[in-house]
This record gives sequence, structure tokens and C-alpha cells, in this order.
Amino acid sequence: MVSVRLEKVTKKFGKVVAVNNVDLEIEEGEFMALLGPSGSGKSTLLYLIAGIYKPTSGKIFFDDHDVTNLPPRERNVGLVFQNYALYPHMKVYDNIAFPLKIKKVPKEEIRRKVFEVAKLLRIEHLLDRYPGQLSGGQQQRVAIARALVKEPQVLLLDEPLSNLDALLRVSVRSELKRLQKNLGITAIYVTHDQAEAMALADRIAIINEGVIQQVDLPEVVYNRPKNMFVGGFIGNPPMNFVEAGVEYNETVKLIVGEDSVWLPQEYIEILRKLKLQKVVLGFRPEDVLVLKDESQVEPGSSVIRGEIFTVEPMGREVLLTIMIGETMVKVYAPPTQYYSMGDKVFLQINPAKLRLFDPDTTIALEYLVKT
Amino acid sequence: MMQLWDVEVKSRKIEIVLILAVLLASLPLILNYGLLILSSFSTEMVTNLDPTSFRPTIDNWILLFEGRLSVTGGVREDVVRYTINTAIVALGVAGVVVLVSVMAGYAMSRMNFKGRSLIMQLILLLHAFPGVALIIAVYLIFRATLPSDIELARIYSFAYVIVARAALEIPMSIWLIKGFFDRVPWEVEWAAIIDGASRLRVWREVMLPMVKPGIAAIAIFAFLAGWEDLIYVRTFLFDRTLATYIESNINVEFAYMPLLAAAGTLYLLPTILFFILTQRLLLETSTGGIKG
Ligand SMILES: Nc1ncnc2c1ncn2[C@@H]1O[C@H](COP(=O)(O)OP(=O)(O)OP(=O)(O)O)[C@@H](O)[C@H]1O
Ligand SMILES: [Mg+2]
Repeated sequence: MVSVRLEKVTKKFGKVVAVNNVDLEIEEGEFMALLGPSGSGKSTLLYLIAGIYKPTSGKIFFDDHDVTNLPPRERNVGLVFQNYALYPHMKVYDNIAFPLKIKKVPKEEIRRKVFEVAKLLRIEHLLDRYPGQLSGGQQQRVAIARALVKEPQVLLLDEPLSNLDALLRVSVRSELKRLQKNLGITAIYVTHDQAEAMALADRIAIINEGVIQQVDLPEVVYNRPKNMFVGGFIGNPPMNFVEAGVEYNETVKLIVGEDSVWLPQEYIEILRKLKLQKVVLGFRPEDVLVLKDESQVEPGSSVIRGEIFTVEPMGREVLLTIMIGETMVKVYAPPTQYYSMGDKVFLQINPAKLRLFDPDTTIALEYLVKT
Repeated sequence: MMQLWDVEVKSRKIEIVLILAVLLASLPLILNYGLLILSSFSTEMVTNLDPTSFRPTIDNWILLFEGRLSVTGGVREDVVRYTINTAIVALGVAGVVVLVSVMAGYAMSRMNFKGRSLIMQLILLLHAFPGVALIIAVYLIFRATLPSDIELARIYSFAYVIVARAALEIPMSIWLIKGFFDRVPWEVEWAAIIDGASRLRVWREVMLPMVKPGIAAIAIFAFLAGWEDLIYVRTFLFDRTLATYIESNINVEFAYMPLLAAAGTLYLLPTILFFILTQRLLLETSTGGIKG
């Protein structure tokens, strides 16, 4: 098994820069999720690692071997394509057996391996069919089987579970993770679904417009997003952003409309260093207490005034959309209270969970002082 | 329920009307071929839609393969040999066309090289040239390259007519098969490359099977073009084919028409057979497994 390292990798298609100066290291046996919006360069990054595309500049290493100019077949990677890319003229069995046949594996061994992997993915009963006779989810599992059967050093998965129903998805993905750990394969898993990324990955890499935004443990990506893009991309609904002024007195506090927000000590120190006049206040929907009455506000804590715009009951909780001045934020509230449109409310943000960003660079302040 | 039934009745009516319209439109053709085939089994031509002129016999067919041109005797002609010659030319044309188009079409579809679109346009332009317009130049090359040994020249004339006739078919075939290659998603090819297959193996084991309907189509068109060709065969081939045999007898005074009808039917046979046998293949779109 190998580690994968990208050094300053750029891929251009004419004028389009699909992957921009990416530095990324995936450790041996690591399960890395690659998250990003549509068109951000996720598939291109996988194709670069697989060797289908050559980088316009930069280098790719498997362990310490420079594989930048190695053809795909000498890289021993398995790739599950976004659109499956099964061979339509071959039966499922032959689809899965194809990589082994090319390697001239003995017939009996091919048979054994194909059945083994088919059983794992629960497609044994489909081996005799053509891909055209399968559902989308079944085709996806065949594609995964074909990538796994050759026991690759690196497994690349391009949204491999997007077509499975919720139930199957959860079971196949835990199966996949177990498999990956047992075989010790280094894996990169592209997904749109951040819940899936959180559940599966050892680390998450977030990419936007070809640029890697952050690579970190799932909880770090969630709790300490490096910039507003990451905060606004991860989470459902994602992080809320409200513009705020900064007031420097004996202490440092934020001004949102007519309200003041007290800051934790960490941020007071950072702001004193940076001396910003304006920041963006970020907070997650679940880190807010929604109070209907000013009398509920604990003395010493700070609140922001807002007005309820919409109310969406979700069962376990209620999702409220609240206007703070001109800004819309979404927050979760317990369903024990009754909320209706137009209600004035007071938002008490958990000070330990609030994040501050530089409005110019969109970078989180704590990362600004680190570098 | 009623409504559904209603809709079904309606669409069936439309279907019947459509079928009738198609039948009506093709009636002259069907009548033509029908009468030709009927005449080949009759002692008299069944031409005036007069059923009394049909007197069944298979003598025409026996005579045809005995190589005689009239009931009373006539010149002996080796029709079996002509049929074989025709088949050689037709298969040869089909073979050359498929070989060249499949390779060129793949290159045009998949490889990125300078002047690709220019070549594609030139190919289309080539297609616009009728074969007759080119024949003088083609003949000059033929004269210049013809071996002096007569036996060799005979074989050479076969090779020459095959290649020359194939050249006329190739431009269109390249365009056609390129379209089929274009429809194969890149990812399928990449998958095979990642699975470890060489470019040649990908081409042979993945790409070719996926464009099979296209290959069948160009093979059939090329085969029929070779089978039916008259001008090139008459100009270059030392031997006769069914086309030149029939053509040379149509104006002959002692020609016995029902016998020629049998020859004509024989000449038509592959066209009819091919379309019946390969209709499904031609209509078959490459099966799924490619969702995007
Ligand atoms: N072969 C190509 N030629 C030109 N541009 C391309 C090509 N492949 C990708 N691109 C462009 O590069 C960018 C990244 O594409 P890519 O397919 O990697 O995105 P993605 O993150 O996989 O998106 P999605 O989630 O929709 O699959 C896009 O702007 C795309 O239009
Ligand atoms: Mg993609």
C-alpha cells in the first residue's frame, strides 16, 4: 500500500483551470473524502491521480516514486467512475473479471475472486446479466466490484453511492469502509454529501474552483472551518454569516445592528492583534438559543434581535429562518415552543462556538494569526 | 379504464392508416420485384398484371445455372462463376471498407491531431464526387500499373476494382463509424486503460464491440455497393459479374426474358436477404450501462 502525494499540481483545459496548484498528501491506508461543489475539479483530481490526465505542471508521487509520467496501467489504481463506465457488451461477470483477464490471472482464480467480491457487494445474482439490465444502484455496485477485484494500491471513488437508496447506501458505505481498512487500501472518495464524508473519512479535503480550501479531520473541518467557503459548504443548513462591527474599549465586542456580542478571550486577543474594524460573525444553526422574551435573557450574556421569517417543523426540531436586519440566518429550535411568522426573537449565540472571519480574505481569524 | 381503451383504439387506427400509407407508397416497388420474381418461375413474363400469363416452371433457374441464355441452346455462360466473382468483389469491398473506416473513424473520433477537422471536411468533399467523374483518372492509374502477365493482370483487376470501389465508399463510412465511436463515453475507454489494457486491446475488446451495429451497417452498405456495381466492374474487371452479365444480355435479341428475370432475382437476393437478416442489428442501439 502506498501514500499519495500531490505537489503543486495544476491542470488546465485551455483557459479553464480545473485544478489549481494543489498540494495534498493522502497517507498510507487513509480514507480521504474529497468534498466540493459541482465543477470544482474533483473528478479531474482523481483522473490526475489515476494517470488519465497529465498535470499541466506539478508532480504526483506514490510513496517516493514519481508517477507523474507513468501510464495508468503501471499505477495499479482502481477507479469507480461517476457514470459507472461499465462495458455494456460484457456480462457483469466479465465486467468484473476484465482487469484480471488483462493481468492473465488463471481462470480458476478469476472465478474465485469475482464471486468473492460479488458476494461482498451483494450482486452474485446479477453476474449473468448485462449492465443495461441493471438498475443504477446495481450498476454502481458492479463498478465498485470491478475496481476492487484487482486489489489496487489506491482506490479512487467518484461519487460511488449517489444512486443507492438511503438504506442500501448506509450499509454499502460502512461495508466499503470496513473493506478499505481490512485491505489497507489508500482511498480517495469524492462526494457531494457532507454527511457521508463526515461518516466515512479519516480526513476531509474541501475543494472549490480547483483550489484546496482545507484538509483536516472531520470535526475540525466542521467546528473550525478555515474560511467562509468551508463553513458555508459544510453543514445542513450550513454556517450562518452576519456582518459585524468591532468596538475596542476596555474589552472588545461586536456590534450587530443595535446589539452587542461579547467575545471569548481567544478572539479578544486575536482582534487586538489584527485591529479589524469589521468582521463576519459565523455560527452554526444548532449553536443558538432562540428566546422569545427579553426576560429570558440571562444577565451578562449577549443577544442579537431578529424577526422570524419562516417556520419549518422537522420533527425533532424546528428550523427557523430569521431576519437580522437585512441578513437571513437559519437556526434550529426545540419544538416545545410555539413560533410564528413575524415574531420578534432574541438569538443567544453559544460564545464557545462562534467563529469570526476577515471580510476581505474570508479567512477565519484564528488561521490569520497562525500564518 | 374506458378512456385508456379509447386511446388505444385511436392509436391503433392511426397505426393501421400509417401501415396502409407505407404499403401504398411502396406498392410500385413491391409490384415490380414481385413480378420479377414471379416471372422467373414462369415460361412467360408476367408483366401486364395478367395472371393468365403465369405458367409455373423452374426451368429458368435450371437453365440459368446451366449457363444457357435461351431454351433452345444459346451461348454457354458460367453463371456460377459470375456469382462467385460478384461475391469476391462484394466481400472484398466490404472488407477493405470496414478495415479502413474502423481505424480511420476511431482516429478521427478519439485522437487529437493537427488538421483533424480539415481532414474530416475533405473526406466529406470526397464523398460528394460521383464515382463516374473520377473514373478516367482511376483508369489511367489502372493502365499504368497493370501487370503484363495476363493471369497476374486478371488477379490484379480483381484487387484493383475492389480497392477502387471501396475508396468510393470509405468517406461516408468513416463519417458514419466516427459517429458511433463518438457516442462511446470516454470513461468506458479510460476504465479499460486503468484496468491495464493496452490501447490496441481497448480498441479491439472494448471499442469495437460497442460500435458493432455501426460496423455491420458499413459492411452491409459496402457489400451491396460492391455487389451492385456496374461501371467500375465493367471498366476494370477482366471477368464478369452478375451485373455485367445481365447488362450485356438485356439488349441481346435472342435473350429469353424469364431467364433474365431469374438472373435478376439472383442478383437482388443478397440485398433482400441482408436487409431482412440484419434489420435488428441495424436498429439495435448499443445497450445501456452508460448513464451520465
Ligand atoms: N475534458 C475537459 N475539457 C475541458 N474542460 C473540462 C474537462 N473536464 C473538466 N473540465 C472543466 O474543469 C472543471 C472541473 O471539472 P470536474 O469534472 O473535475 O468537476 P467535478 O468537481 O467533478 O464536478 P461534478 O461534481 O459536477 O462531477 C469544470 O469547470 C469543467 O467544465
Ligand atoms: Mg465529477
